[in-house]
Amino acid sequence: MEPEVVRSEMVLPPVLGFKKIQMADKYPKGQSRARHWKHLKQLLQSENNFQSYPPNEPNYLNIESPPSMYPSKKFCDITGFEAPYVDPRTKLRYASPEVFKHIRMLPDEHVQRYLTLRNAAVVLR
Amino acid sequence: MPSIPRQSDYWRFSPDTPIVIDNGGSHFRIGWAGESDPRITFRNVVQRPRHRSTGDTVTIVGDHHDPANLKYFDCTRTSYRSPFDNNVVYQYEIMEYVLDYALDRLGADLKVDHPILMTECICNPISSRSKMAELLFETYGIPSIAFGVDAAFSYKLNQQLGVCNEDGLVVCSGLTTSHVIPFLSGEPVIDACCRTNIGGYHVTDYLKQLLSLKYPNHASSISWEKAEELKREHCYVASDYQSELQLFQKGTKEAEEKTRYWQLPWVPPPREVGPSEEELARKAALREKQGQRLRDMAAAKKSVRISELENELQGLEDLLDQLEEVDEDEIPSILSAAGYVSRHEIDSAVLRVTQSLRKAKGEPDESEDKMDEASLAERFPLVNIPDDMLTPEQIKEKRKQTFLKTTTEGRLRAKQKRVEEELLREKQNQEEEEKRLENPEQYLEQLRAKYKELSEKVEQRKRLKTNGNRTNGNQNSSGNTGRGERLNAAQRERMRLLTTAAFDRGKGEDTFGARDEDWQLYKLMSKDVDEEDEGQDENEAELARISSRLQDIDPEFVPKFEASLLPGTPEFPRYRPLTCGKHFQHFLSAVELAIQMSCKYFSSPQWSEWIKQVSMRWSGSLSAGSLQSMKPSRAECAVLFS
Repeated sequence: MEPEVVRSEMVLPPVLGFKKIQMADKYPKGQSRARHWKHLKQLLQSENNFQSYPPNEPNYLNIESPPSMYPSKKFCDITGFEAPYVDPRTKLRYASPEVFKHIRMLPDEHVQRYLTLRNAAVVLR
Repeated sequence: MPSIPRQSDYWRFSPDTPIVIDNGGSHFRIGWAGESDPRITFRNVVQRPRHRSTGDTVTIVGDHHDPANLKYFDCTRTSYRSPFDNNVVYQYEIMEYVLDYALDRLGADLKVDHPILMTECICNPISSRSKMAELLFETYGIPSIAFGVDAAFSYKLNQQLGVCNEDGLVVCSGLTTSHVIPFLSGEPVIDACCRTNIGGYHVTDYLKQLLSLKYPNHASSISWEKAEELKREHCYVASDYQSELQLFQKGTKEAEEKTRYWQLPWVPPPREVGPSEEELARKAALREKQGQRLRDMAAAKKSVRISELENELQGLEDLLDQLEEVDEDEIPSILSAAGYVSRHEIDSAVLRVTQSLRKAKGEPDESEDKMDEASLAERFPLVNIPDDMLTPEQIKEKRKQTFLKTTTEGRLRAKQKRVEEELLREKQNQEEEEKRLENPEQYLEQLRAKYKELSEKVEQRKRLKTNGNRTNGNQNSSGNTGRGERLNAAQRERMRLLTTAAFDRGKGEDTFGARDEDWQLYKLMSKDVDEEDEGQDENEAELARISSRLQDIDPEFVPKFEASLLPGTPEFPRYRPLTCGKHFQHFLSAVELAIQMSCKYFSSPQWSEWIKQVSMRWSGSLSAGSLQSMKPSRAECAVLFS
């Protein structure tokens, strides 16, 4: 290990005195590194007691807010200004004729990415 | 960035002083209870690169390290990994690395005998919490642990500082999620709290997407970290989003002042260091050596071949001598033993061997020279003799000679033609030059006019071919041409063929396919326009010629295709207000919902008081100009419920 790396103490030492079980004992080197940790979704699913919870008590799932009831505000996809117009061909919202010209010059891929930015892209599968 | 020094006063704290850990999605903070600031703060990420020289996998926690030291590690196949999925810890191996590092920096050496207070998200799933407790108890052997919600702690502190009252609302926006927690007489109303899965990460990501869309050339250099830095440094929350928008739309001076110009760091391309004298000499010597070896090899090969040929020649001559000496009737047996049919064949073999021997020795080939010098008639003597005077073998030879003669003549003719063309072009150039010298202005004018005409022609042609499909980004790229869209040439031709085919065949009984030619129709139909016609090519060649000529003599001339790139597309304000539309609408409604739900716990007079005291806790990650109409929405609510 290079002296400046050692001096900067950037590398975590493999054995630490204050630990009861060292990292190497817990996750031996021979074993596959890809120890699977349950993702949040699996975690929530496996905790099936969520179903047995009384519905009026808060838990991780039911404190999530429902989608908004209000119509979304319409902003220009390119400039971010208020957009009174929609291009019927690309479905992009735009604020002024100059932006419209710009939209028509845009390659198809960029149009799709702009639409994806506001969750409006049509995904064909 | 400086590395974090190890704290040296760990032993000074008595075992009943708790260690406080703020285990946040973006940053990890650790410190001692009773102190106002955390001792250590770093990004809650782990990187496990390989050391370049030793090949060991090492663990690096946080991203605050000196990038100069990172060059010793191979970071290409690793990336920052976080223990979090959304706002819940799930990767306890990574969490352990982070805790190791944090406790080590705090100065722990033999054991961690302090109680720990750790933050977690509200309504943390039980399995996540139990795993965390397990890790802390079993691996670190801590005496006790308490979990708490960061937003609630923050509210309590603000209450102590007198910033807010007993009743209020905390809006806590984290890296990936935002929470709204109402407080009633100093207690959080957990029943009424709300979470929305939007946080600072999404704002940064949005900014990054916008920047890379606006400047596709720099898309690779705008990393997430860079966008984050930009957001933290230059973005701000508009107090009134609508009027702020108006400001920028009008392009007033104020807007100009608020506009930030930011340049990507320019990295000079690595300069090619030329090889040193010594190295050049070494390389030359090496090359010389290799060349010498090759030459030696070639010489050896040549001498071998020469001796081989000489041997062969000697053998043939011996055979001939033998034939001279023996009787007539013995000749066939000797010949068959040597593998030859006739004496004539031996002669030709001798000729061949001598020729190749001469060639191998590098002497000038006499016969070749003779052939070149000789006229066509001499080279092909049989051509001009009538057939009936020749033997069948000679007739065969004559045919061969005729063929050779015509091809040679053709070659000569082509050569002649090339020379003539060259002369013609030279003459034309001279004429043009004269014209130019006579009247430069007029000549230039003419050339320009011609250029314009030609380029228009070519361009129109191209447009017809592609039908401008490329210019306007619309959904129908090909085949799926909507009404009102013009067909291009190929599609038109296909249509015509189809219609004629349909009407022709529709009359009588259907005989399509009876004749082989019928099937040719498909070939015609599937033909692509890419098969360019001649005229087009000529036009383009002429255009290229004129443009190169113009470039030579006209300093102001810029080829049209380049010219169209020069004036930039219409510029938009460099500052682009961040609007996450749907997402933030969602976020606002979460706030409203929380307010609605907590309404149940208020009496009317309490409410109006409460709404005034709503405090917001920004953990800094959402400081971008996007939480547009926070205020109006809240005002709306107040009207709604009070």
